[in-house]
Amino acid sequence: MENLLSVQNLTKRFGPVTANDGVNLEVRKGEIHCLFGENGAGKSTLSSCLYGYYRADSGVIRFKGEVAELNSPADALRLGIGMVHQHFVLVSNFTVLENIIVGSAGTGLFLTKSDARRKISELCESCGLSIDLDREIWELSVGEQQWVEILKALYFGAELLILDEPTAVLTPQQSDQLFRILDGMRMRGLSIILISHKLREVMQSDRVTILRKGRAIATVETSETTAEAITALMVGHKVSKHVRDRSVEPAGEVLAVDRACAIGEWGEDILKDVSFNIGRHEILGLAGVAGNGQKELFETLMGVRALSSGGFSLEGEAITKPTSREMLDRGIGFVPDDRSLEGLIPEFGAAENLILGWQRAREYCRGPFLDRRKMDALARRKIEEFKVVTASADLPVERLSGGNAQRIILAREFLHSRGLLLANQPTRGLDVAASEFVYEKILEKRAAGFAVLLASEELDDLLRLCDRIAVIFKGRIMGIVRPEETTLLELGMMMAGDAKDVQRTVQ
Amino acid sequence: MISIQRRSGSSLRWNVVCFSAAILCAFLSSAALLALSGGDAVKGFSALFTGAFGSQNALFGSLAKATPLLLVGLGTVIAFRAKIWNIGQEGQVLAGAMMAYWASLMVGSLPYWVALTVIALAGLLGGGILGLLAGYLKTRFGTNEVISTVMLNYIVIFFLAYLLDGGPWMETGVTVAYHQSPPVNPSLEWPDLFARGAGKLHIGFLFALAASAFCAILIDRTSLGYDIRAFGSNPTALRFRGTNVRRLLLVVMLLSGALAGLAGAGELFGTAHRLRAETLLGIGSSGIVVAMVGGLRPSGVMLAALFFGALKSGAIYMRLQSGTPAGLVSAMEGLVLLFFLCAVVATKFQIVRSNVHA
Ligand SMILES: Nc1ncnc2c1ncn2[C@@H]1O[C@H](COP(=O)(O)OP(=O)(O)O)[C@@H](O)[C@H]1O
Ligand SMILES: [Mg+2]
Repeated sequence: MENLLSVQNLTKRFGPVTANDGVNLEVRKGEIHCLFGENGAGKSTLSSCLYGYYRADSGVIRFKGEVAELNSPADALRLGIGMVHQHFVLVSNFTVLENIIVGSAGTGLFLTKSDARRKISELCESCGLSIDLDREIWELSVGEQQWVEILKALYFGAELLILDEPTAVLTPQQSDQLFRILDGMRMRGLSIILISHKLREVMQSDRVTILRKGRAIATVETSETTAEAITALMVGHKVSKHVRDRSVEPAGEVLAVDRACAIGEWGEDILKDVSFNIGRHEILGLAGVAGNGQKELFETLMGVRALSSGGFSLEGEAITKPTSREMLDRGIGFVPDDRSLEGLIPEFGAAENLILGWQRAREYCRGPFLDRRKMDALARRKIEEFKVVTASADLPVERLSGGNAQRIILAREFLHSRGLLLANQPTRGLDVAASEFVYEKILEKRAAGFAVLLASEELDDLLRLCDRIAVIFKGRIMGIVRPEETTLLELGMMMAGDAKDVQRTVQ
Repeated sequence: MISIQRRSGSSLRWNVVCFSAAILCAFLSSAALLALSGGDAVKGFSALFTGAFGSQNALFGSLAKATPLLLVGLGTVIAFRAKIWNIGQEGQVLAGAMMAYWASLMVGSLPYWVALTVIALAGLLGGGILGLLAGYLKTRFGTNEVISTVMLNYIVIFFLAYLLDGGPWMETGVTVAYHQSPPVNPSLEWPDLFARGAGKLHIGFLFALAASAFCAILIDRTSLGYDIRAFGSNPTALRFRGTNVRRLLLVVMLLSGALAGLAGAGELFGTAHRLRAETLLGIGSSGIVVAMVGGLRPSGVMLAALFFGALKSGAIYMRLQSGTPAGLVSAMEGLVLLFFLCAVVATKFQIVRSNVHA
C-alpha cells in the first residue's frame, strides 16, 4: 500500500518542553492509524502540526509524495487534510446543511444549497451515516454533532481525517456508531488518524504508532499485537492493575445519605430518595450512564446544590443547608467530573490552583496576604509527588494536558481532605497509566481510613476497586451490590433501569 | 519564508515593539486628523507638548489631570480583572462628588484634617454605594451590570441636575444661574502639594498614588486579589471551591465604585471647588480607556493615566495656541485606545522566519 502521509523527523518545542522529538510517521491510504500514548506524550501537538495549526520547528511533512507547506489549517484542508476537534466549531442555530457548507468558497449560500445537499447525501450514504440535513445543530446529540464535523471535513475534500480523542465526549453506544462510520470511510479509501488512549478503540485500528515523551517509539500492525504489549510500549514498562486490599474491612459510618431528593429547573426529579452510607476504609462505587444524577448527587454533597427533601450526615452529624465552604472545612475532598469547569482556574498556574479553596487558610497566608514562598514550596513538592509535567508552577493550567490538570486536582484534594473523598469520574479522559496512578492514590486513602465515593463509567475498574457498588438510574439508586456477588450483566441491567428482579441493597 | 504564528509565551522585546508601533500610529493618525481639521499638525503637537510637559507648572498640571483618571482606572482594573463589566464610572464619579459635597455641608465645625478625612471617605462611600447597587441588582435579580451601571449613570446625572437646577444645592443670589452649587467652604478645600499660577496639584494625587500601591498589592498578593482574578477566569470553580461569589461580586463593585467616587471628590475639592456636572463628566469614560490602555495592571494604569492626563492638560494649551476644535482630544483618546487594543492582540502573535518543510 502506498503512503498518503509521511512525516520525517518532526520536532516541535514549546519553550523548554519538547512536545515532539524527531517523530516519524507514515499513514497509508485507506487505513485507520491510531496515535497512542500517555497524556502529554505529544499526540495533540503532532496532529496540530499535521493540520497546520502549529508549525513544526523542523522536519518534513509529505502528503501524496509531495512536500506539504502547512502554514494554516486552510492550507491543510486545501491539500486534503481535515481535522475534527474535540470542541465542535458549529453554529448552533444553523441547520446541518448550512453548517457544512458555511465557508465553502465563492458562490452564495442559496446557489450551492441543492448541489451541496446532493453531494452531502452521497457522502452520508457511502459512509453509512444517517442524519437529517435540515435539523438545527442544537437539536442534535453530541455524537451527531461530531458527525457533522466529520461531514464538513469530507465535504471540503479531506482524504486524511484527524480525530483527536473523539470518543471522550461520547457514550459507549455513540462511540460504537462512530467506529462504524470510520470503518465506512476506510472502505472508501480515506485515511484516518485517530488519537485515543482507550485500548478497546485502539484495537479496532489497522496500525498503531506509540508515542512516549514526544518520541514515536514504534509502529505496529494491530492484528499482530496485544493490548498488553501496546500498553507496555506506551508506558515503557508493564502496568499492574491495582485491586483493593480485602484484608482491610470497612467499619463505622462516615457519610450517610438519607432519602435525598433534588428537583431540576423544570420541576423534574433529579435525585429521588437516594439513600446509602459509606464507612471508614470503604470505597462505594457509583455506577451509571452519565447524566443519571451522579453529577447532581456530588453537587449536593459538596453544598453547591440544594436538596428538596431528605438530607445527609457526616460522622453522625446531620448537615443542614451546607455550603461549599462548610464542606471543604469539614475535610471533604472533591474531584469534579468536569475538571476545567469546576475544579480549576484555567489562567492560574499549578501553584495557585493547588490552594484553590484554601486561599484564606492559615497555611498559605500571612494575614490578608498570600504567602508565595509557602505556595511555591507546596507546588514544587506536589508537582514532584504527582509527577505533573509542566514548564513551571506558574504556567496557566489551561495549557496542560488533561492528565496533568487532573493530577493537580488530585494533589489538592488529597492534601486537604480528611475522612471523605468524593470522586466523580476521576479517570475520565486519562490513559491507562494515569488512571492506575489515580486508583493507586485512592486506594491509599482507603487504607488510611477514608470513606470514598467513586463514580465511574468503567465497570471493570469499579469491580476491582470497590467494597460495594451502588447503581444509579434516573436519579434513583437501583440497588447496592457487592462486586463478588454481581456480574457485568447484572450491573448493566440495573444501569438501564431494569431492576425489577435484581433490586437489592447490601449494607 | 515568513509566517505569522500564535506565540506560546510572551517576549518583552516584542511587547515594546508592538506598543511603540501603537503610539506611533496613534500619533500619525492624530496628526492627520489635526491637519484635516484645518490645523497645523507640527504647531499643534508642539503646543500640545509644551502644554503638557513644557514647564514645571505644565507638568504638575498634567499630574493633576492624571489624578482622577488614575483613580477611576484603578477602580476599573479591579472590576475588569474579575470580568465584572462595571462601566458606570461616570455616575460613580458624580456620586462620589455629591456625597462628598453633602458631607462638606455638615463638617464645618470639625478640625481641618478630620473634616478632610470625612470628605474623602464620603467620596469613597458615594461611588462605592452606587457600585454596590449595581452589584446588588446583579446578585439579587441577575441584572446585567453593563446595563445597570449605564442606567444608574443617567439616574445620577439627572439627580444632580435636579439638585443644581432649582434644587437645594443651586447657587442662589447670582444674576445668572449656571447649574452649579455655590463654592465649597474655602476652609474645606483640599490642600495643594504644589501651586503656581495655573499649575496646581492637590493632595488627591497622593491618594491616587496610594491607591495604585493598594491595587497592585491587592490584586497580586492578597487572598481577595486571588478571588478577583479567579472569578475573572472561572467563577464556577471558585464557587465550587468554597468562595461566596455573590459577596465577592459586591465587594468588587464596592471597591471599584469607591475609587471612582474618590476621583469625583478630589476633582470637586481639589480643583473645581464647586459642584458642577461639566467639570466631572468625561472623567469616568476616560478612566475606562486608561484602564484598558494600561493593560488592566496598576503599573500600566499609572503610565496610561499620566499619558492621558498630559494629553488633556496639553490640549487646553493647544486649543488656545492653535484653535483646534475641542472634540479632537476625545478623538485622539479614541485612536490611542484603538491602536493599543490592536497592539495587545499583536503581542500574542509572532513573526517567524524559517525554512522548515523545505
Ligand atoms: N501551547 C503549548 N504551550 C506549551 N506547552 C505545550 C503546549 N501544548 C502542549 N504543550 C506541552 O507539550 C507536551 C505534549 O502535549 P500534547 O501534545 O497535548 O500531549 P497529548 O495530546 O499526547 O496528551 C505536554 O508536555 C504539554 O504540556
Ligand atoms: Mg491531547
